[in-house]
Amino acid sequence: MTSGAQRAVVLAVTAAGLACALAACGPKPASRDGDAHALAELARLQRDNALLARQVELAAGKDFYLLLDPSAARLTLMLKGAILQHFAVRAMHVGHPRVAWVGSRDPRHVQSTVWSAGELDPPRLIDRLVIDAAPPGAASEEEAAPAIPPTPEELYPVPSRYHIRFAEGLSVEVRPREGDAAVGWWPRLRAAVSEKARDVSSAVRGAERDAIRLRLVLDPKDAQSLYRSLPPSVRLLVLDGRGAP
Amino acid sequence: MAPSPSLPPSTGETATDGGPDGTGSPSRSPEMEPARGPLLPPRGTPPAAGRFGPARPRARAARLALGALGLALLLLAAGTGYRYEPYAPQPPAFSGDAPADARAREQQTARLNARRRDLAARLAAAAPRGVYIVIDQTQNRLYLRRGDETLLQAVCSTGSGMVLRESTGKKRQWVFDSPRGRFEVRSMHKDPVWAKPDWAFVEESQPIPRNPKDRLEYGSLGEYALRFGDGFMIHGTLYERLLGRAVSHGCIRVGREDLRVVWANARVGMPIFIY
Repeated sequence: MTSGAQRAVVLAVTAAGLACALAACGPKPASRDGDAHALAELARLQRDNALLARQVELAAGKDFYLLLDPSAARLTLMLKGAILQHFAVRAMHVGHPRVAWVGSRDPRHVQSTVWSAGELDPPRLIDRLVIDAAPPGAASEEEAAPAIPPTPEELYPVPSRYHIRFAEGLSVEVRPREGDAAVGWWPRLRAAVSEKARDVSSAVRGAERDAIRLRLVLDPKDAQSLYRSLPPSVRLLVLDGRGAP
Repeated sequence: MAPSPSLPPSTGETATDGGPDGTGSPSRSPEMEPARGPLLPPRGTPPAAGRFGPARPRARAARLALGALGLALLLLAAGTGYRYEPYAPQPPAFSGDAPADARAREQQTARLNARRRDLAARLAAAAPRGVYIVIDQTQNRLYLRRGDETLLQAVCSTGSGMVLRESTGKKRQWVFDSPRGRFEVRSMHKDPVWAKPDWAFVEESQPIPRNPKDRLEYGSLGEYALRFGDGFMIHGTLYERLLGRAVSHGCIRVGREDLRVVWANARVGMPIFIY
């Protein structure tokens, strides 16, 4: 074998050895992807179990609660695991306060906890009729016909925008008007101006009540029904938007 | 020639002209001095401060400053409030120690899946089985539900919220609200008879009878009644024209046809949810 050939053989063997060594020490792209996928799956299972655990906790409690399912675009009023009423959600947005163009973003996600002690704002006021009964036998001969009480629609007019405010600083803002095509531009403009004024006031005051706003657009009938029906001190859980666990 | 009345008067010099008598002596009399008018200052008077001249720039500057301040406030207000963005779900993040190898990952996955199955089973067990009644007392609606399915939607009448105060005797007070929460059907009655409580007599300004038989009223509760505790019932009514309004004393009044459907699906122990 000539020296040139020997040299070529040595070089080839050396290169092959180096290649094997590099292959043994270098990264394995396929397995790294597999690790990441497996970790993501574990994370998803953990999150699903956390949401299920909260639902079990709510079903065992004595309070009414709302389940907001972004994947189904639905808000459901429930008690002890029983479905009471569904409300279709047209749109969902999350809002954070800002003052003079400087925002303050609450680090919590709306899914991160069960929100409690939700109350309507403005509240649904009950106007009670008080009757002092006449003593027995003292009834007048001509009794006036009892007045027919108003319907719920007459008794509880629904504002163009209302909130359900929770103790931990979340405020669910319900906007029925945005879903009402029958409302003209002038009422919308008036409502928008007054709402802007209230938002400015709320943001400037430190947003103690509205650290996070969850804006829901409902159909007008659903929004009215929710306002009239919502029980006091309601709780809220936002489910995962990727799909029911 | 007499000077024109519109010309300003002379500063003291008098025109000499040949007057009518031709003598050349000054002939202007005070009556011939042209009037200056009330609005114009006398000749030689310097302009008054604040009316013309130096005061005008200050007023303009004040208006500009106010305008700038207003614009700044508007800009600040425009940037104050809430900034909204479309909702995005929370990305899942693994918490705890990451499993070292594939076998550890499989074990952890199996544990999480087992936990998930257990939680799902507990959640399903919490939900009512079969048909149950839901009552919306504010909107006066009664529903028969089975899970996600609505079998019946009926108009009803719930508690009026009225307060009745007794003016004599024990001076008691009753509030006619429907209760809120979860209840169960405790008993079912066909052709129920109403044993009127004290408030029914107080309301009518009638004496409260001593004989229990004098409290009984027939036919006012309709064909069926479902009792669910504390004197509350789901029953029929003679006043179907008032269905949809809060007129009852706390019970749930249902129309005849709807009550028949409720009766056909009811059972003792059936859950009733009122909100």
